[in-house]
Amino acid sequence: MKILRLATLLAISAAAFGAGETPLLDIMSKELQRNFAALKQKAETPPYFMAYEITELESHGVGATLGVLNATGDSRNRFLDTTIRVGDPALDNYRRVRGDNFRFTSPQPVPIEDVPNAIAQRMWLETDRVYRAAADRLIRIKTNQQVKAVARDQSPDFSQEESYVHVGKPATVTFDTARWSQQVRDWSGDFRKYPDLLASSVQVNAQVDNRYIVNTEGTRVTDGRGYARITISAGAKAKDGMDVSDFQAFEALDAAGLPGADVIRAAIKTVGEHVEALLNAPTAEPYAGPAIFSGRASGVFFHEIFGHRIEGHRQKDEAEGQTFTQKVGEKILPDFLSVTFDPTLRKVGNVDLNGWYGYDDEGVKASIVKAVENGVLRSFLMSRSPIDGFAHSNGHGRRQPGLEVVSRQSNLLVTSTKAVSDAQLRQMLIDEIRKQNKPYGLFFEDITGGYTTTGRAGVQAFKVMPVIVRKVYADGRPDELIRGADIVGTPLASFSRIMATSDRTEVFNGYCGAESGNVPVSAVSPAILISEIEIEKKDSGQDLLPLLPSPSKGSAQ
Amino acid sequence: MKRCLVSLLLAGSALAQQSDAVLDAMKAEMARSTSLSLGQLDKPYYVAYTVDEATIWSAVATLGAMMSSDLQTVRIPQVRLRVGDYKFDNSNFSGGGGGGARYDLGAFPLEDDAVAIRRYFWLATDSAYKGALQTIARKRSALRSVTVSEQMPDFSPAPAFSLFKSRAPLTFDRKLWEDRVRKASAVFSAFPTLRVSAVELTVIDGTHRFVNTEGTVLRQPQELGSIQIRASAQAPDGMIVRDFQGFYSARVSAMGSEADLLSATRFLAEQTVKIAAAPMGENYSGPVLFEGAAAPQLLAGILGRNLHIARKPVGAGAQAASTELEGRRGVRIMPEFFNVVDDPTAALFGNSETDDEGMPSRKVSLVEKGVLKDFLRTRTPVRGYSDSNGHGMLPGLPTPTNLLVTTTEKTPVAELRKKLIDLIQQRGLEYGIVIRKLDFPSSAALEEARRLITSGGGTGSAQPVPLPLYIYKLFADGHEQMIRGVRLRGVNARSLKDILFAGDDNVTFNYMENGAPYALLAGGGSSAEVSIVTPSLLVDDLELTRMDDELPKLPTAPSPLTAGQ
Repeated sequence: MKILRLATLLAISAAAFGAGETPLLDIMSKELQRNFAALKQKAETPPYFMAYEITELESHGVGATLGVLNATGDSRNRFLDTTIRVGDPALDNYRRVRGDNFRFTSPQPVPIEDVPNAIAQRMWLETDRVYRAAADRLIRIKTNQQVKAVARDQSPDFSQEESYVHVGKPATVTFDTARWSQQVRDWSGDFRKYPDLLASSVQVNAQVDNRYIVNTEGTRVTDGRGYARITISAGAKAKDGMDVSDFQAFEALDAAGLPGADVIRAAIKTVGEHVEALLNAPTAEPYAGPAIFSGRASGVFFHEIFGHRIEGHRQKDEAEGQTFTQKVGEKILPDFLSVTFDPTLRKVGNVDLNGWYGYDDEGVKASIVKAVENGVLRSFLMSRSPIDGFAHSNGHGRRQPGLEVVSRQSNLLVTSTKAVSDAQLRQMLIDEIRKQNKPYGLFFEDITGGYTTTGRAGVQAFKVMPVIVRKVYADGRPDELIRGADIVGTPLASFSRIMATSDRTEVFNGYCGAESGNVPVSAVSPAILISEIEIEKKDSGQDLLPLLPSPSKGSAQ
Repeated sequence: MKRCLVSLLLAGSALAQQSDAVLDAMKAEMARSTSLSLGQLDKPYYVAYTVDEATIWSAVATLGAMMSSDLQTVRIPQVRLRVGDYKFDNSNFSGGGGGGARYDLGAFPLEDDAVAIRRYFWLATDSAYKGALQTIARKRSALRSVTVSEQMPDFSPAPAFSLFKSRAPLTFDRKLWEDRVRKASAVFSAFPTLRVSAVELTVIDGTHRFVNTEGTVLRQPQELGSIQIRASAQAPDGMIVRDFQGFYSARVSAMGSEADLLSATRFLAEQTVKIAAAPMGENYSGPVLFEGAAAPQLLAGILGRNLHIARKPVGAGAQAASTELEGRRGVRIMPEFFNVVDDPTAALFGNSETDDEGMPSRKVSLVEKGVLKDFLRTRTPVRGYSDSNGHGMLPGLPTPTNLLVTTTEKTPVAELRKKLIDLIQQRGLEYGIVIRKLDFPSSAALEEARRLITSGGGTGSAQPVPLPLYIYKLFADGHEQMIRGVRLRGVNARSLKDILFAGDDNVTFNYMENGAPYALLAGGGSSAEVSIVTPSLLVDDLELTRMDDELPKLPTAPSPLTAGQ
């Protein structure tokens, strides 16, 4: 924590930095200038832009099941990403062409010790490899008729941005392996109370990512942060073979910020009870009707069906569905809803958010994007790949080491002007059930994650994976847990059916996977009431239960 | 970590009682697994559990800088389960197995808790049993539509075998060895024309545990010290050349000294530079002298990998990967002065008491006076043999342990060169070829290996033959010239008969066999320790062909190591 705060305060100039506080950045700069100069002078197709990003990852973790350690690991690595652009910003080797996917960079391991020649040599060879791939693709693109034929979006391939200099001390991680080992042993032992579980685990991980970025426009950036996470999971198999599971995770900047034993043990109890309850719960049946999504479930819902569709690069990719491409300035959500992406926000209440950063992977300063204001689409999430009407990055170019940057989500925040208390929202659901003359409504309490298809080929659909779903009856019967509910639907239809929200937000922290790999994200949202959602029954599989009783039950059964 | 150490120490001190909590848990759950049944379907007749435990230190350095340095503790469990009976079970079927029940097994417990260990095996066995039932059903169904010419049992019974060994945990000075690795990697800094170089250390302190329902119980400490050195360079015409040297030791305490490591690294660097500077060779047909490591490297491929009979699995279109020596028992495969034994009991790197199937490894006389007498065998019966001789070292691939090649006619090594010169003069050849090292195990990346295998197609060998690395033209006046860019063609088990002379030397070559083409280092998977001891060999009628691959251009920017010079 302290170090991270220092990192942001220490925005010092490149000149002041010459003292060698982060020798890695100097090594990178030197190799960048050397290669750029040589390529400009000697190469047939000289580059107009180059960038290096080195991501330094240090991670520690332990895990246990039923009181016994079953995972322990520490690692420290550095990976180099190399970007070379040949041609010019209007048309370069990064041009999106349908059916011609590209990847120039690779997760090139480089030494974890700052020995200049050792690092420079790997950078030099990787630069040579990437340069050849880049030059080859530019030639191929220029001879490709499809490009010359009408792409609707005639934006250039690379935006002009100011350069940033921000050099701080690298973030560090402390992890008391012995202490955490004992913690996960103790905590995971609590799952012994639930004899029907087939699997359970408690894991603690702490890591730091320090990113070092230099480019030929003068950007010199270090950006580092910690992540710590406790994950609690359990699973079992119902008599019909369906797998049921529940999962809870807690995130913080560092291990010291993770919740204490009381919170963790309560979560373990919840997970254990949920799984046991799911084992005996009736299965979902196909249904269409009103539903409430909890704040966390709603966050995932927005992340999947909205967030992925306003990622800038999709708006000019001819293979994409482009749901919102032509809708800037139009109403796409109910007018009481706004959606903002804020990578500068670190906490909501006392919960650390997962999707923040100071600079994105193109070295552009993170900034707040008001994507939807009062239901009206205002902006897309932008990397340095411009699209019609959006010439600049808003600091959302992100990637996992070894993959090409595309625009990605950060911290998604849903806000509402039609917010009621949780109790009122529930009453509105019951009223809606009656109005629609449905036997029941649904409450999506928790969700593990989801995925969405944004491509033009195939159906544009989304799928979120609910874990805890309850039937809500209008006649005063208690709620009833069901298992195996899968939500189906198409994106635009779902939005128009949001009727109201609660006045209390919840945070979903997670990792989002897409073209550029896994990046940490958050989704913050109030619960939402939707007038109609459609579910289907998950395929239960054909598995039988284990034939022998568990050895921990002895031979009594 | 501390707790792990304590449990190991306890295991050591409990030697007298021969007790091991992990083994006990394995035995208890295995006993229960024999009661598995599902309706009228086949029951398990054989179950084996393995737990391989290891503390692994690894470090990689380049040009004096650490790339990574890791310490990990792992336990790798394995369940083998057979339904039916020895005659007919779920194995030897190519049609793909049933997946079994899907359970989230998680990771295997790292601590000696009986309940947690048994729970893991309980679910893994349940899944294996259901999978085996699906497989045997598919196998029966496949057999309805084919006629099998020869009915062989699927598995050979074996008597119980017990071994219980303990030792204190290894003391390994991590810092000392990391410094050595770093220092060795810095040797390459004096060779700025090299492309990539690295020195890699792996030290394993392990315990192998095995139990089966036939009553075999094994507990064996395992140990490996390995240092791998590699470098590559680019020749002026663009060809990328590589060199690799592995040092493997079954005793960590017997790993070489720092001075040895530094001089081996320097030698490798010099050789790599020399290869890159050497002229391209031309097509050649004639005698080739395999000196030094090249002789055992050659035999590892054309002999070692052909010393077994492949079992043809049942299944539609099942291709038998038959070996080149199959069906040649009693036939002369080498000159009469050759004898070959595989001796797992010899005090060499391949020393082994049992194989992966829990069988005691037995000494096998394979070739006597040039005649093939026996094969390396596992518990899977093959044509002509029903029992194992303890060579099931890798899953599906019988592997040598210490393969000892001896001769009754020895030619002094210096004499071999004269013999080669005599031959080229007799035949009017301008020069003969001496090869001192092959690319085996190969440090090629997967992509390069794939290219080598496809471009080397039609060599007449089931096994792709490794590239020669240290290749010399030997001229009649006795002078040598290094060349590069040629590969061996048409070398296979038949070439063994073309051996003309064997040296009076004994070259010992250690490597890790993983079954991949060229024993590729990038091939991964499990591996077995092998030591091959053989004299230098003069082989007649070999062909070398010039490689005509497309060559990459030289980098546009000079190396950062030469840039400042």
